[in-house]
Amino acid sequence: MLRFALTRIVMAIPTLLIVAVSVFVLIRLIPGDPASLMLGDLATPASLADLRARLGLDQSLPVQFAIWFGNLLRGDLGISINSQEQILPLVIARFWVSAQIVLVAVLLASLVAVPAGVIAAWKQDSALDIGLVAVATLLLSIPTFWLGLLLLLFFGLKLGWLPVVGYVSVADNPTAGLLYLVMPILTLFLHEIGVLLRMARASTLEVLRLDYITHARAKGLSEMTVLWRHAFKNAFGPTWTLIGLVLGNLLGGIAVVETVFTIPGLGRLLVDSIFARDYPVIQGCMLFIAFTYVLVNLVIDLCYPLFDPRVASQ
Amino acid sequence: MNRLLAGLCLVPLLAGPVLAQSLTVAVQADVRSINPGVNRDDGTDDFALQMVEGLVGYDEGGTPQPLLAEKVDLSADGKTYTFTLRQGVKFHNGAELSSADVLWNWQRYMDPKTDWRCTSEFDGRSGLKVESVTAPDARTVVMTIDKPNALFLDTMARTDCAMTAIIHKDSVKADGTFDKPIGTGPYKFGEWKRGEFFSMTAFEGYASPRTDGKVDGYVGSKRPRLKEVKFLVVKDPATITAGLTSGAIDLSEVLPSDVQQLRNAPKLDVVTAPTAVRHVLLIQTRDPVMKNQKLRQAIAAALDMDEVVAAASDNLGETNTSPIFSRSAYFGAVEKQGLKYDPARAKALLAEAGYKGEKISILANKRPRVPSFSAAVVVQAMLQAVGVNAEIEVLDWATQLDRYNKGNYQMQSFSFSARFDPAIAFEQFAGDKDKQPRKVWENPDALAKIDRLMTVADRAERQKLVDELHRQVVEDVPLIFMFNGVDAIAHSKRVKGFQPWQSKLRMWEVTAD
Repeated sequence: MLRFALTRIVMAIPTLLIVAVSVFVLIRLIPGDPASLMLGDLATPASLADLRARLGLDQSLPVQFAIWFGNLLRGDLGISINSQEQILPLVIARFWVSAQIVLVAVLLASLVAVPAGVIAAWKQDSALDIGLVAVATLLLSIPTFWLGLLLLLFFGLKLGWLPVVGYVSVADNPTAGLLYLVMPILTLFLHEIGVLLRMARASTLEVLRLDYITHARAKGLSEMTVLWRHAFKNAFGPTWTLIGLVLGNLLGGIAVVETVFTIPGLGRLLVDSIFARDYPVIQGCMLFIAFTYVLVNLVIDLCYPLFDPRVASQ
Repeated sequence: MNRLLAGLCLVPLLAGPVLAQSLTVAVQADVRSINPGVNRDDGTDDFALQMVEGLVGYDEGGTPQPLLAEKVDLSADGKTYTFTLRQGVKFHNGAELSSADVLWNWQRYMDPKTDWRCTSEFDGRSGLKVESVTAPDARTVVMTIDKPNALFLDTMARTDCAMTAIIHKDSVKADGTFDKPIGTGPYKFGEWKRGEFFSMTAFEGYASPRTDGKVDGYVGSKRPRLKEVKFLVVKDPATITAGLTSGAIDLSEVLPSDVQQLRNAPKLDVVTAPTAVRHVLLIQTRDPVMKNQKLRQAIAAALDMDEVVAAASDNLGETNTSPIFSRSAYFGAVEKQGLKYDPARAKALLAEAGYKGEKISILANKRPRVPSFSAAVVVQAMLQAVGVNAEIEVLDWATQLDRYNKGNYQMQSFSFSARFDPAIAFEQFAGDKDKQPRKVWENPDALAKIDRLMTVADRAERQKLVDELHRQVVEDVPLIFMFNGVDAIAHSKRVKGFQPWQSKLRMWEVTAD
């Protein structure tokens, strides 16, 4: 197991290298220049030259890459062009803000969607199944920004239960902080229920049609035993993989939800940086996101043996 | 006895301004830094200029007036400016302002390590050079420039230069790095939580230039009458609307398209005002198709500008086809005479131009607070109506700005930032394209007139030059001015005294019930 984990981590290094080089090159292929953006139409040749020199943008691209990559090897992601902040602490701080929303939302969505999906498959074509699939499809179809705005209007404006704008860190004030997190978590929770329920249902349906399930039923096992002891463990694999992909995806940024609820998370940082052509922050965010993705999927892979012993034996 | 008690209760209320209330203001972007004039954008300048002040600042009409100075005297040769400082002005740390502070600040600004945005505006690289700055006594500062320049005070007052703010030495740490702004402004720096909010608190020792309650740009009555103002970073316009409606936000700029809805909200007031921002259609006069002056004139004649402005500004804007801001003292009878909508003439001009249906691309962006795309859509329809094969290319703002800076376009729907002085208003788009490809107008005669406008101080001569330049730009059509920007601010009815001005959220003389 340890060897497997180490191999996966070593295999991640070339992935991260490719991400580093491609992000560095691609972001510079997009037209636009951070110095011009900062000065806008006020730029004079002299002020533009000053600013470009201060930001190191007057250096050739290979030199810029060498400086950045050298710093990267020392664990230094550089300094933001816009805010002059150190990027690594900035990205980590923003990541934790996003992570607390994503982790809670996906955990809750999994706890609701997976049993619901299994039950829907078990009761295939019943009113319950049709109802659950309809709800899942509806939740999946609603864009998160619109769902967020609906929640904001209902819980924030109409009922006045939850704060409409702003953000308070849970670390600073746990009670107020939680209130600010309820709606973003609820938005993601509802959206991810749709995704996970459909997957759990589909994979359970597939397993329920296999011979060993028929055999188990023929042995006279109760439906609950058949469902949760025999079907669920085999059916959960694809859903578990999907949970990993969803987590990796969302941890990389929930920019839309963060924008609607004024949450200072990683997604908003990345989007703002792209619009501002803040190259070092974009590079730092993308590397961090790639690393998170690799790490989450590694954890997901390492967890497979917990519900499928065949994986451990392989 | 009861009367006595009631009287005693009223004493504190009568003693001075009430600083009991705080406000939450939504802004769409975080500040870049708290170092005035360094690493800045418009929002950063706006926050800084609540806390710091310069020797001169703009009045409501955009003319530089004394601010920390009591008066400014100009020598007969037009090269020596003598600033007499106001008495009793204090920094936020209690220290009194003196000419030594001005000297220290000037040296700091001229030091390249400071990275002041406007160093190049005063060291000769942009045509103006400050040769010496001296302090003959504690209240007098003398600045000498290399040659007469009508824009010297204007440049000092510029908001992107943070008004050449005078801050206290303790704003900078012992190692030379910036700590926090200790200025002389009506509000003191409070707290900054990056990506979330920034705040400021009332400076109770503030010496207002006037105390009559009349707000006048950056120089009028500037008393801080709120205990604290918190600027909350909220990017999404729909969230801002919800925040205003719920009362979580007291004041914010809003989209023109939201104005009508918010005017119907019972707890909100909406105020609008024109700004010196100018929304324009740029034309690349070196483009093989667009270099044809008749074609450009045809395009100008094809536009029913009142309709364009109504559609692009949600009926909030007023047509202004002059480079001069409609509220400027230089906006006279000539400047009101702009383009004339005449589709028949447009068609005739197209025939004269030999236009054969070549494709003309209009660049635009979809930033929510800028009417670039909406204006481009209406313009495209009007051009197509007279037979111009116009199409729109939508870009993100950074890409469009890059194309602007490189001169790589045929037409674009663009916005020029606010310019008050007519010389700078014209210089913004006029110049040699070989040296600066972003320049739009390179008529040699016009450039000579703009150079003259830069140096001449006589008001009548300046107006004559402005009138001539206006007529020339309408004739040459290197660009088409459409309308000035519009500030639309929604605020809670408990907020009193707020006046929109040049997209600046001035919090002085504002109170809250």
